Amino acid sequence: MTTTTLPTTAIPTDPRPQPLTRQRGDAVAALPAALRSEWIKLRSLRSTPGLLGAVVVIGVLLSWILATFVKTDPDTHLPFTIGETFVFSTWLTMVLAIVMGTLSFASEVQHGTLATAVTTQPARWVIVAAKAVVGSGLGLVMGVLGMAAGFGGAVLGGLEAGDTSGSLATAGWALLLTALAPMLGLGIGMIIRHSAGAVTGVLVWALVIENLVKSFAPASFTRLLPFSAAAGLLGIQTAGDNAETMAAALTRVQDAFVFSGYVALAIGIGTALLYRKEAN
Amino acid sequence: MITVSSLTKQYGQRTAVDNLSFDVASGRVTGFVGPNGAGKSTTMRMMVGLTRPDRGETTYRGVSYSHMLNPARVVGTVLDARSMHPGRSARNHLAAAAALASIPARRVDEVLNEVGLDSAANQRTGGFSLGMRQRLALAGALLGEPEVLLLDEPSNGLDPDGIRWLRNSLSAFADGGGTVFVSSHLIAELAMFADDLIVVGAGKLLAAETVATTLARGESTVSVRTSQGVELGQLLERHGIDADAADGHLSVRGTTTAAVSRIAFDNRIQVTEITETRRSLEEILLDMTGASAEFAAA
Repeated sequence: MTTTTLPTTAIPTDPRPQPLTRQRGDAVAALPAALRSEWIKLRSLRSTPGLLGAVVVIGVLLSWILATFVKTDPDTHLPFTIGETFVFSTWLTMVLAIVMGTLSFASEVQHGTLATAVTTQPARWVIVAAKAVVGSGLGLVMGVLGMAAGFGGAVLGGLEAGDTSGSLATAGWALLLTALAPMLGLGIGMIIRHSAGAVTGVLVWALVIENLVKSFAPASFTRLLPFSAAAGLLGIQTAGDNAETMAAALTRVQDAFVFSGYVALAIGIGTALLYRKEAN
Repeated sequence: MITVSSLTKQYGQRTAVDNLSFDVASGRVTGFVGPNGAGKSTTMRMMVGLTRPDRGETTYRGVSYSHMLNPARVVGTVLDARSMHPGRSARNHLAAAAALASIPARRVDEVLNEVGLDSAANQRTGGFSLGMRQRLALAGALLGEPEVLLLDEPSNGLDPDGIRWLRNSLSAFADGGGTVFVSSHLIAELAMFADDLIVVGAGKLLAAETVATTLARGESTVSVRTSQGVELGQLLERHGIDADAADGHLSVRGTTTAAVSRIAFDNRIQVTEITETRRSLEEILLDMTGASAEFAAA
């Protein structure tokens, strides 16, 4: 059906120049502004220092409990050392970093602020890129704090230094993991778009499903799962690991590629959905 | 100036917005009215690129929203006053928005002052009343010193003082050459400060005209109190004027007090009271949109 604009007041000609239009490259130039905005969002919530505090507490407690109560590695029966223990809590740091990345997007949907962001910056990939960069930065900080806390807890527990020749490399791979983890979370948040659902999904997958899959699927498959790759990067074993999975383990470089692949996939799907779906 | 051309949006079998076209003039306040489900919010979301139209486009002085270099500098938008993180302070909420649009940080305190929230700047928005949220949302829209304000139900939750403040603010914005496009279900309120109206029903345009034109659609009723009601009624009928007698007074439609007074005076009929009642904008708009209302009380 055709509608007709009824006679209305005469619209006077506006003497002002047309609004400036977006040119090629303008969206890239807007990235620093988007980064500033994301940084303000991150530092203005109480949950951010709370998260960092949790990373420190978990790091200290885990190392201290291992040093004080467990004392020896159940698999090797050798005493725990600082050189291996300092990185143990990083697996949990990574899970927290994924949750943080998830919430950086899903909470914007939940509180309706995504619409404000998208109306301010119609090039939606700029918002995704800013969230990814700022999230990664915080992930790095979480990684450093977690390992420092793990080190502190191990020292407090009275552990020996042990072989520390590979510790620097382990710390480097661990930081790569905690920097990538928020991006994986961001992608998951963009796909699921629901804070509670996304966080529950991440936790259930990390703590339950992947270990269950390891119990029946061949190691050649399970080594390609995201949290197996994460454990491989840290050089640690998880609950579902056994002799077969350890024998089939990938190298750290391969694990890095596997984990990065999941990050790229999640961000790619999430960004496509962000352009396709309506911004609430 | 805003030009909306052939906007159309379909959700499944339901047409939310149907080939909608209208212009919104600069320097004026334009009300956007229609019953629930008329497509007002969908239209406004399409106007700022939040919802992709199936057909049609909106331009702001010739440029579509998504092609603007910095939309916040041209169009200030409030589509949902609840859109804020409850754990973030008002100042930080605005600071994040200002940073994204490359707006100087000093504007944050300026707009907080403009909307009267400077004393609550550091409070978390989770503790804000709906009225405070409306003010903060409007502050966000004003951040970029835009030339257009696009507001969806901005008076929701405001107390009478807040409504008067909003009315004055929007009128002043339009007087300064700005374009105000505002949807509201408070039609009586809108009638006090809107210059033009866009009326929609079931996604279709029903009218685009000045408020004065809409008001002129309303037939006035002249109420006459007289002891000679039957006689006056017959006289009016002879002049082609309908009149109903009830409870000692006549209700006369489609004429003026002057015309009725003259007929009564010429025929020596004593009138003890004569008043003219004009239909309100709300009543007129309800008549216009009644057939298209998706939800109505039984």
